[in-house]
Amino acid sequence: MNILIGTVLLGAVALWLYWKLPNAEWRAAGIANAWRMAQFTAPRIVVALLGAGFFAELLPPEQVRALFGEGAGVSGVLLAIALGPITPGGAFVSFAVGAAALKAGATSSLVVTYVTSWSLFSASRFLAYELPLMGRQLALRRLLLCLPVPFLIAGAAHVV
Amino acid sequence: MPSLKNIKTEAPPEQPARAVFDTGFYILALSALAAGVLVVVLKGSERALEIAQEEMMFMAVLAPKIAAGMFIAATLPLLLPRDKVAIWIGRESGMRGLLLAAFAGAAIPGGPAMTFPLAASFGLVGADVGAIMAFVSSWALLSLNRTLIWEFSFLPVDLVWWRVLLCLPFPILIGLAARAVFGGRDA
Repeated sequence: MNILIGTVLLGAVALWLYWKLPNAEWRAAGIANAWRMAQFTAPRIVVALLGAGFFAELLPPEQVRALFGEGAGVSGVLLAIALGPITPGGAFVSFAVGAAALKAGATSSLVVTYVTSWSLFSASRFLAYELPLMGRQLALRRLLLCLPVPFLIAGAAHVV
Repeated sequence: MPSLKNIKTEAPPEQPARAVFDTGFYILALSALAAGVLVVVLKGSERALEIAQEEMMFMAVLAPKIAAGMFIAATLPLLLPRDKVAIWIGRESGMRGLLLAAFAGAAIPGGPAMTFPLAASFGLVGADVGAIMAFVSSWALLSLNRTLIWEFSFLPVDLVWWRVLLCLPFPILIGLAARAVFGGRDA
Protein backbone atom coordinates (compact mmCIF):
# COMPACT_ATOMS: atom_id res chain seq x y z
CA MET A 1 0.00 0.00 0.00
CA ASN A 2 2.78 2.41 0.93
CA ILE A 3 4.54 1.51 -2.28
CA LEU A 4 1.38 2.17 -4.29
CA ILE A 5 0.86 5.60 -2.69
CA GLY A 6 4.47 6.57 -3.35
CA THR A 7 4.26 5.29 -6.93
CA VAL A 8 1.12 7.30 -7.70
CA LEU A 9 2.53 10.42 -6.04
CA LEU A 10 5.91 10.29 -7.74
CA GLY A 11 4.32 9.28 -11.04
CA ALA A 12 2.05 12.33 -10.93
CA VAL A 13 4.95 14.67 -10.17
CA ALA A 14 7.05 13.09 -12.95
CA LEU A 15 4.22 13.54 -15.46
CA TRP A 16 3.66 17.11 -14.34
CA LEU A 17 7.39 17.88 -14.75
CA TYR A 18 7.44 16.25 -18.18
CA TRP A 19 4.50 18.39 -19.19
CA LYS A 20 6.17 21.49 -17.74
CA LEU A 21 9.30 21.05 -19.84
CA PRO A 22 9.22 23.73 -22.53
CA ASN A 23 9.85 21.71 -25.70
CA ALA A 24 10.96 18.42 -27.25
CA GLU A 25 14.64 19.22 -26.79
CA TRP A 26 14.17 19.65 -23.04
CA ARG A 27 12.08 16.49 -22.80
CA ALA A 28 14.80 14.54 -24.60
CA ALA A 29 17.41 15.99 -22.24
CA GLY A 30 15.29 15.03 -19.23
CA ILE A 31 14.92 11.48 -20.45
CA ALA A 32 18.60 11.22 -21.34
CA ASN A 33 19.49 12.44 -17.85
CA ALA A 34 17.11 9.98 -16.22
CA TRP A 35 18.56 7.17 -18.33
CA ARG A 36 22.09 8.08 -17.25
CA MET A 37 20.94 8.08 -13.64
CA ALA A 38 19.24 4.69 -14.15
CA GLN A 39 22.49 3.21 -15.49
CA PHE A 40 24.26 4.42 -12.38
CA THR A 41 21.56 3.39 -9.92
CA ALA A 42 20.18 0.11 -11.28
CA PRO A 43 23.26 -2.06 -10.59
CA ARG A 44 23.43 -0.59 -7.09
CA ILE A 45 19.78 -1.33 -6.37
CA VAL A 46 20.05 -4.94 -7.56
CA VAL A 47 23.18 -5.58 -5.52
CA ALA A 48 21.83 -3.75 -2.46
CA LEU A 49 18.48 -5.56 -2.46
CA LEU A 50 20.20 -8.96 -2.79
CA GLY A 51 22.64 -8.04 -0.04
CA ALA A 52 19.83 -6.81 2.21
CA GLY A 53 17.88 -10.05 1.70
CA PHE A 54 20.90 -12.22 2.53
CA PHE A 55 21.82 -9.99 5.43
CA ALA A 56 18.31 -10.23 6.93
CA GLU A 57 18.50 -14.02 6.71
CA LEU A 58 21.79 -14.00 8.61
CA LEU A 59 20.64 -11.71 11.42
CA PRO A 60 20.21 -13.85 14.55
CA PRO A 61 16.86 -12.77 16.08
CA GLU A 62 17.88 -13.58 19.68
CA GLN A 63 20.94 -11.36 19.45
CA VAL A 64 19.07 -8.56 17.67
CA ARG A 65 16.44 -8.65 20.41
CA ALA A 66 19.11 -8.64 23.12
CA LEU A 67 21.06 -5.75 21.56
CA PHE A 68 18.25 -3.65 20.08
CA GLY A 69 15.01 -4.98 21.60
CA GLU A 70 12.92 -3.69 24.50
CA GLY A 71 15.17 -2.97 27.45
CA ALA A 72 18.33 -2.60 25.33
CA GLY A 73 19.00 0.67 27.14
CA VAL A 74 21.83 3.10 26.51
CA SER A 75 24.15 0.49 24.99
CA GLY A 76 21.53 -0.17 22.29
CA VAL A 77 21.40 3.55 21.49
CA LEU A 78 25.20 3.81 21.31
CA LEU A 79 25.46 0.73 19.09
CA ALA A 80 22.66 1.94 16.79
CA ILE A 81 24.46 5.29 16.42
CA ALA A 82 27.82 3.60 15.83
CA LEU A 83 26.42 1.34 13.09
CA GLY A 84 25.08 4.31 11.08
CA PRO A 85 28.38 5.69 9.75
CA ILE A 86 29.83 2.29 8.80
CA THR A 87 26.83 1.20 6.72
CA PRO A 88 28.08 1.01 3.12
CA GLY A 89 26.18 2.13 0.04
CA GLY A 90 23.18 4.33 -0.59
CA ALA A 91 19.89 4.98 1.12
CA PHE A 92 18.35 1.63 0.25
CA VAL A 93 21.04 -0.24 2.20
CA SER A 94 20.42 1.53 5.49
CA PHE A 95 16.63 1.32 5.13
CA ALA A 96 16.87 -2.37 4.23
CA VAL A 97 19.13 -3.04 7.23
CA GLY A 98 16.69 -1.12 9.45
CA ALA A 99 13.75 -3.13 8.11
CA ALA A 100 15.61 -6.40 8.68
CA ALA A 101 16.47 -5.41 12.26
CA LEU A 102 12.85 -4.40 12.88
CA LYS A 103 11.63 -7.81 11.68
CA ALA A 104 14.18 -9.53 13.90
CA GLY A 105 12.87 -7.70 16.98
CA ALA A 106 14.63 -4.33 17.23
CA THR A 107 12.53 -1.47 18.64
CA SER A 108 11.21 1.28 16.35
CA SER A 109 13.03 3.96 18.31
CA LEU A 110 16.42 2.28 17.81
CA VAL A 111 15.75 1.80 14.10
CA VAL A 112 14.88 5.51 13.85
CA THR A 113 18.10 6.30 15.73
CA TYR A 114 20.16 4.12 13.38
CA VAL A 115 18.62 5.63 10.22
CA THR A 116 19.18 9.15 11.58
CA SER A 117 22.81 8.38 12.42
CA TRP A 118 23.39 6.92 8.96
CA SER A 119 21.72 9.87 7.23
CA LEU A 120 23.94 12.37 9.03
CA PHE A 121 27.22 10.49 9.33
CA SER A 122 27.53 7.96 6.49
CA ALA A 123 31.32 7.54 6.36
CA SER A 124 31.49 6.60 2.69
CA ARG A 125 29.47 9.67 1.74
CA PHE A 126 31.49 11.92 4.03
CA LEU A 127 34.86 10.75 2.70
CA ALA A 128 33.92 10.42 -0.96
CA TYR A 129 31.75 13.53 -1.35
CA GLU A 130 31.42 15.91 1.57
CA LEU A 131 35.09 16.32 2.48
CA PRO A 132 36.38 16.94 -1.06
CA LEU A 133 33.33 18.94 -2.27
CA MET A 134 32.64 21.10 0.79
CA GLY A 135 36.19 21.50 2.02
CA ARG A 136 37.61 20.47 5.37
CA GLN A 137 36.36 23.39 7.40
CA LEU A 138 32.70 23.26 6.36
CA ALA A 139 32.57 19.46 6.42
CA LEU A 140 34.03 19.20 9.92
CA ARG A 141 31.82 22.00 11.21
CA ARG A 142 28.75 20.22 9.84
CA LEU A 143 29.85 17.00 11.50
CA LEU A 144 30.37 18.74 14.83
CA LEU A 145 27.02 20.55 14.73
CA CYS A 146 25.12 17.36 13.85
CA LEU A 147 26.85 15.23 16.49
CA PRO A 148 24.16 15.61 19.19
CA VAL A 149 21.25 15.01 16.81
CA PRO A 150 21.03 11.16 16.89
CA PHE A 151 21.25 11.22 20.70
CA LEU A 152 18.43 13.76 20.92
CA ILE A 153 16.39 11.77 18.38
CA ALA A 154 16.98 8.61 20.40
CA GLY A 155 15.82 10.33 23.58
CA ALA A 156 12.74 11.81 21.89
CA ALA A 157 11.87 8.54 20.12
CA HIS A 158 12.16 6.70 23.40
CA VAL A 159 9.71 9.09 25.05
CA VAL A 160 7.12 8.92 22.25
CA MET B 1 9.23 26.86 -8.73
CA PRO B 2 10.78 29.63 -10.81
CA SER B 3 9.09 30.83 -13.92
CA LEU B 4 9.79 28.53 -16.83
CA LYS B 5 8.94 31.15 -19.43
CA ASN B 6 12.47 32.24 -20.16
CA ILE B 7 13.95 28.85 -20.86
CA LYS B 8 11.86 28.16 -23.97
CA THR B 9 14.48 29.59 -26.24
CA GLU B 10 17.48 28.20 -24.34
CA ALA B 11 19.02 24.77 -24.71
CA PRO B 12 18.82 22.46 -21.68
CA PRO B 13 22.00 22.49 -19.57
CA GLU B 14 24.45 19.62 -19.85
CA GLN B 15 24.62 17.30 -16.86
CA PRO B 16 27.93 15.66 -15.95
CA ALA B 17 28.34 11.90 -16.37
CA ARG B 18 29.42 9.67 -13.49
CA ALA B 19 31.51 6.53 -13.37
CA VAL B 20 29.10 3.62 -12.91
CA PHE B 21 31.48 1.33 -11.07
CA ASP B 22 33.37 3.06 -8.29
CA THR B 23 34.77 2.03 -4.92
CA GLY B 24 31.40 2.43 -3.23
CA PHE B 25 29.84 0.00 -5.66
CA TYR B 26 32.58 -2.58 -5.16
CA ILE B 27 32.23 -2.38 -1.37
CA LEU B 28 28.49 -2.89 -1.72
CA ALA B 29 28.93 -5.78 -4.18
CA LEU B 30 31.52 -7.49 -1.99
CA SER B 31 29.31 -7.17 1.12
CA ALA B 32 26.35 -8.62 -0.77
CA LEU B 33 28.49 -11.44 -2.16
CA ALA B 34 29.88 -12.27 1.29
CA ALA B 35 26.36 -12.33 2.77
CA GLY B 36 25.15 -14.51 -0.12
CA VAL B 37 28.00 -17.00 0.34
CA LEU B 38 27.28 -17.16 4.07
CA VAL B 39 23.61 -17.90 3.41
CA VAL B 40 24.56 -20.69 0.98
CA VAL B 41 26.97 -22.18 3.54
CA LEU B 42 24.66 -21.87 6.56
CA LYS B 43 21.19 -22.38 5.05
CA GLY B 44 21.83 -24.05 1.69
CA SER B 45 21.73 -22.84 -1.88
CA GLU B 46 17.97 -23.38 -2.17
CA ARG B 47 17.25 -20.82 0.54
CA ALA B 48 19.72 -18.39 -1.06
CA LEU B 49 17.96 -18.76 -4.41
CA GLU B 50 14.58 -18.24 -2.75
CA ILE B 51 15.78 -15.00 -1.15
CA ALA B 52 17.25 -13.80 -4.45
CA GLN B 53 13.92 -14.46 -6.17
CA GLU B 54 11.98 -12.61 -3.46
CA GLU B 55 14.28 -9.61 -3.72
CA MET B 56 13.96 -9.49 -7.51
CA MET B 57 10.16 -9.59 -7.17
CA PHE B 58 10.40 -6.69 -4.73
CA MET B 59 12.60 -4.86 -7.22
CA ALA B 60 9.95 -5.36 -9.93
CA VAL B 61 7.27 -3.93 -7.61
CA LEU B 62 9.45 -0.91 -6.82
CA ALA B 63 10.55 -0.32 -10.42
CA PRO B 64 7.78 2.10 -11.54
CA LYS B 65 8.27 4.24 -8.45
CA ILE B 66 12.04 4.27 -8.81
CA ALA B 67 11.70 5.20 -12.48
CA ALA B 68 9.38 8.11 -11.65
CA GLY B 69 11.64 9.28 -8.83
CA MET B 70 14.69 9.14 -11.07
CA PHE B 71 12.93 11.12 -13.78
CA ILE B 72 12.11 13.81 -11.19
CA ALA B 73 15.62 13.81 -9.79
CA ALA B 74 17.07 14.01 -13.31
CA THR B 75 14.74 16.71 -14.63
CA LEU B 76 14.34 19.11 -11.75
CA PRO B 77 18.02 20.16 -11.76
CA LEU B 78 17.54 21.09 -15.43
CA LEU B 79 14.64 23.39 -14.55
CA LEU B 80 16.09 24.68 -11.29
CA PRO B 81 19.62 25.73 -12.23
CA ARG B 82 21.84 25.54 -9.20
CA ASP B 83 23.14 29.08 -9.58
CA LYS B 84 19.56 30.34 -9.41
CA VAL B 85 18.81 28.39 -6.22
CA ALA B 86 22.07 29.59 -4.71
CA ILE B 87 21.20 33.20 -5.50
CA TRP B 88 17.75 32.89 -3.86
CA ILE B 89 19.26 31.48 -0.71
CA GLY B 90 22.22 33.85 -0.71
CA ARG B 91 19.88 36.83 -0.92
CA GLU B 92 17.95 35.90 2.21
CA SER B 93 19.20 36.28 5.73
CA GLY B 94 17.81 35.86 9.25
CA MET B 95 15.15 33.26 9.97
CA ARG B 96 13.78 33.49 6.42
CA GLY B 97 17.17 32.45 5.08
CA LEU B 98 17.28 29.42 7.37
CA LEU B 99 13.72 28.37 6.52
CA LEU B 100 14.32 28.72 2.78
CA ALA B 101 17.60 26.77 3.01
CA ALA B 102 15.96 24.00 5.05
CA PHE B 103 13.04 23.82 2.63
CA ALA B 104 15.37 23.69 -0.38
CA GLY B 105 17.45 20.94 1.23
CA ALA B 106 14.41 18.72 1.71
CA ALA B 107 12.73 19.51 -1.61
CA ILE B 108 15.55 19.53 -4.18
CA PRO B 109 16.17 15.96 -5.30
CA GLY B 110 19.71 14.81 -5.92
CA GLY B 111 22.50 12.75 -4.48
CA PRO B 112 25.65 13.89 -2.71
CA ALA B 113 27.43 14.66 -5.99
CA MET B 114 24.89 17.38 -6.64
CA THR B 115 24.03 18.56 -3.13
CA PHE B 116 27.46 19.29 -1.67
CA PRO B 117 28.73 21.46 -4.55
CA LEU B 118 25.42 23.35 -4.45
CA ALA B 119 25.82 23.94 -0.71
CA ALA B 120 29.41 25.05 -1.15
CA SER B 121 28.32 27.53 -3.82
CA PHE B 122 25.89 29.20 -1.38
CA GLY B 123 28.82 30.75 0.42
CA LEU B 124 30.03 32.35 -2.81
CA VAL B 125 26.74 34.16 -3.38
CA GLY B 126 26.34 35.57 0.10
CA ALA B 127 24.66 32.87 2.19
CA ASP B 128 25.95 32.56 5.76
CA VAL B 129 27.25 29.44 7.47
CA GLY B 130 23.84 28.93 9.13
CA ALA B 131 22.03 28.66 5.79
CA ILE B 132 24.67 26.26 4.41
CA MET B 133 24.41 24.01 7.47
CA ALA B 134 20.59 24.13 7.48
CA PHE B 135 20.56 23.17 3.79
CA VAL B 136 22.95 20.22 4.11
CA SER B 137 21.43 18.82 7.29
CA SER B 138 17.92 19.19 5.90
CA TRP B 139 18.95 17.26 2.79
CA ALA B 140 20.57 14.57 4.95
CA LEU B 141 17.66 14.23 7.38
CA LEU B 142 14.58 15.02 5.32
CA SER B 143 15.27 14.53 1.58
CA LEU B 144 11.75 14.14 0.19
CA ASN B 145 12.76 12.17 -2.88
CA ARG B 146 14.72 9.66 -0.79
CA THR B 147 11.88 9.24 1.71
CA LEU B 148 9.27 8.71 -1.00
CA ILE B 149 11.34 6.31 -3.09
CA TRP B 150 13.24 4.33 -0.50
CA GLU B 151 12.17 4.90 3.07
CA PHE B 152 8.45 4.24 2.53
CA SER B 153 9.35 1.14 0.49
CA PHE B 154 11.27 -0.53 3.28
CA LEU B 155 10.09 0.81 6.62
CA PRO B 156 6.60 0.88 8.19
CA VAL B 157 4.71 4.06 7.42
CA ASP B 158 4.22 5.15 11.06
CA LEU B 159 7.92 4.75 11.77
CA VAL B 160 8.77 6.95 8.78
CA TRP B 161 6.31 9.65 9.90
CA TRP B 162 7.75 9.60 13.41
CA ARG B 163 11.28 9.90 12.14
CA VAL B 164 10.38 12.81 9.85
CA LEU B 165 8.46 14.61 12.61
CA LEU B 166 11.28 14.16 15.11
CA CYS B 167 13.87 15.38 12.59
CA LEU B 168 11.82 18.33 11.36
CA PRO B 169 13.15 21.01 13.76
CA PHE B 170 16.81 20.03 13.51
CA PRO B 171 17.88 21.73 10.26
CA ILE B 172 16.74 25.09 11.69
CA LEU B 173 18.32 24.36 15.09
CA ILE B 174 21.58 23.35 13.40
CA GLY B 175 21.50 26.54 11.34
CA LEU B 176 20.99 28.64 14.47
CA ALA B 177 23.75 26.76 16.29
CA ALA B 178 26.08 27.28 13.31
CA ARG B 179 25.45 31.02 13.45
CA ALA B 180 25.99 31.11 17.20
CA VAL B 181 29.20 29.07 17.13
CA PHE B 182 30.84 29.91 13.80
CA GLY B 183 28.89 32.96 12.62
CA GLY B 184 31.20 35.75 13.67
CA ARG B 185 34.52 34.18 12.81
CA ASP B 186 34.71 34.33 9.06
CA ALA B 187 33.21 36.57 6.47
